[in-house]
Amino acid sequence: MDILVQTLADGLVIGAFYSLIALGYTMVFGIIKLLNFAHGDLYMLGAFVGYTLLSVLGGDSSGAGLMGILIVLLLTMVIVGVFGMGIERVAYRPLLLAPRLSILITAIGVSLFLENGSMIVWGAQYQVYPLQLSHDGISLLGAKITYVQIGLVIIAALLMLGLHLFINRSLYGKAMRAIALDQTACHLMGIHVHKVIGLTFFIGASLAAGAGTMAGAYYGTVNFMMGFIIGLKAFTAAVLGGIGSIPGAMLGGLLLGMMETAGTFMFGGSWKDVVAFSLLILILVLKPTGIMGEKVTERM
Amino acid sequence: MKKWGSVIVAATLTLSLAIAGCANQGASTGGADAREILVGVVLPVTGNNATDGKDMQNAIEMAVKKINDSGGVLGKKLKIEVADDGCDPQMATTAANKLVSQNVVAVVGGYCSGATLPSSGVFKNANIPMIVPAANSAKLPAQGYDTLFLINGLTPDQAQTAADYMAANQAKKVVLIHDNSAYAKDLADFAKASVEKSGGTVIAYEAINPEEKDFSALVTKIKGLQPDATYFTGYYAAGGLMVKQFKQKGVSGLFLAGDGSFSEDVIKIAGADNAEGLLITATPTAEFIEGAEAFTCAYKQAYNNLAPGPFSALSYNAVNLLADAIGRANSTDHDAIKKAIKETKDFKALGQTISFNAQNTLDTSNFAVLKVTGGKFMLAK
Repeated sequence: MDILVQTLADGLVIGAFYSLIALGYTMVFGIIKLLNFAHGDLYMLGAFVGYTLLSVLGGDSSGAGLMGILIVLLLTMVIVGVFGMGIERVAYRPLLLAPRLSILITAIGVSLFLENGSMIVWGAQYQVYPLQLSHDGISLLGAKITYVQIGLVIIAALLMLGLHLFINRSLYGKAMRAIALDQTACHLMGIHVHKVIGLTFFIGASLAAGAGTMAGAYYGTVNFMMGFIIGLKAFTAAVLGGIGSIPGAMLGGLLLGMMETAGTFMFGGSWKDVVAFSLLILILVLKPTGIMGEKVTERM
Repeated sequence: MKKWGSVIVAATLTLSLAIAGCANQGASTGGADAREILVGVVLPVTGNNATDGKDMQNAIEMAVKKINDSGGVLGKKLKIEVADDGCDPQMATTAANKLVSQNVVAVVGGYCSGATLPSSGVFKNANIPMIVPAANSAKLPAQGYDTLFLINGLTPDQAQTAADYMAANQAKKVVLIHDNSAYAKDLADFAKASVEKSGGTVIAYEAINPEEKDFSALVTKIKGLQPDATYFTGYYAAGGLMVKQFKQKGVSGLFLAGDGSFSEDVIKIAGADNAEGLLITATPTAEFIEGAEAFTCAYKQAYNNLAPGPFSALSYNAVNLLADAIGRANSTDHDAIKKAIKETKDFKALGQTISFNAQNTLDTSNFAVLKVTGGKFMLAK
């Protein structure tokens, strides 16, 4: 029983990271039909920006309190969000009307640029986050769940709730959903399409960056290739939930995280990725629209 | 005009030839002196591994200086001739041939196993004894060359060291984790055999993807098995995270890691508190060898306060062993030296006592268990 709870709890934390990143994937795909393969690298960039900010602002490791971490998290999200808008402006906007393949290839180029750029700026070796989170926690049915894990899941949930409200209640959210339906018509109706697309990139990038900073603080190390594998996993999560669907991305991320930990538990550590990507193939073959598939027609 | 040009070129060429000739002559009068014993050194002094190669060369020069200052060998001074193998099989063959053509009495060197494999063949054909301080692939002794001597422990030795330590600490239920790299899997396989031979059982044999950061599922699983010890054979980046997550989840038993995790970074990544008590099987660098303080100190003094690299002590030992063998052989004849090295019995060197087995590798390995104490590596026990 304790092992089951422990596995589920660990899966939930991994799943929360996947969900946050998958949201950006799904939003960008929903609005401009682009599989943004550079998205995982924005997660990596977020981890590094958070690392730099903590090193500069925090000073010594123990001094960075909860408030400090939250401020760094928000700052990182804003910085990387703006960077994400910059990428959209430079690399994607000129190709919005080009065939989908061109923009996909550009995305891979952006990904390589981010990876190697980070390697030049921060070095190829593993960097250690300048803070150590406590591993105090509570015992739940024999499983040990740390306060940090609880905090991470709560922050992730708040971010997702905020996004959900923004998309469904605000004017910009409405505009996003409209653009997802028909870009040309939106132009004709006087919606500032590019601005809204830019906003989408901002939100997607900042969510990924938030996940990156949290993962950096949680696991303790960052390096320039950390975005690659998790980008693929987030893509899997997005497809699992139904790409283009925001609740789908949240659900897909959580499910994938838990299935992975359960799979590792049953088959062993080397099968972790096999579980994730077998799931991707199964979903693509059996139900290409994903779990929340019916919403795909609306795209957002 | 054209004529003048060619005259100038010819003149320059002649001049440079003359200069080069002079330089060569100077070198050769220094080298082929009857009062000197010429020892070849093959190391990567350029390329990716140049740092370690340079450290080894420094240690070799230190040893030679010390020997010469105290009277030399057989009344003669040792002189070394360095050839660069660049850690590359082709360059290594060229370097070895160069040393053979200079009639070296014996050779010290070999850093990369890949480069040492071909160069050891060249020396075997010329019947020149070679003492290898660093390269330690099991393929080297498997060639069966009677000229090749390894004074660094091999992978099975490392696995044995780990198994011995676990057995000595009553750790019967053992978990092995590797990261799917050839080196780590090899070590884990040997460790499995060694553990089972010394009466333990391997209750889990797992592989991880070193790119991953979250090992929680695996750690939870292992926690449920309640192991007496866990041996991780991969590199420091995953090793540090693993140590941390083991501590956080409170998994029982000892945590050991292979020499791929022997780096200050493993402590940094795990966090000093979590790394406390972490055990590493490795060939200790000079700083961790008892009785090598004088060596470390002299090395730092001689080379700008630089710490001796991972194979400096071993390189230093190789030269001393060779000098000792030449002394015992009382001759600079290849066969006599070969025989003397082979007959080495309990030669006291820094951090190891050298005797050779039938395979010309160490009779008792030099692998030691290091323990993180107070955020620093120390010899265990």
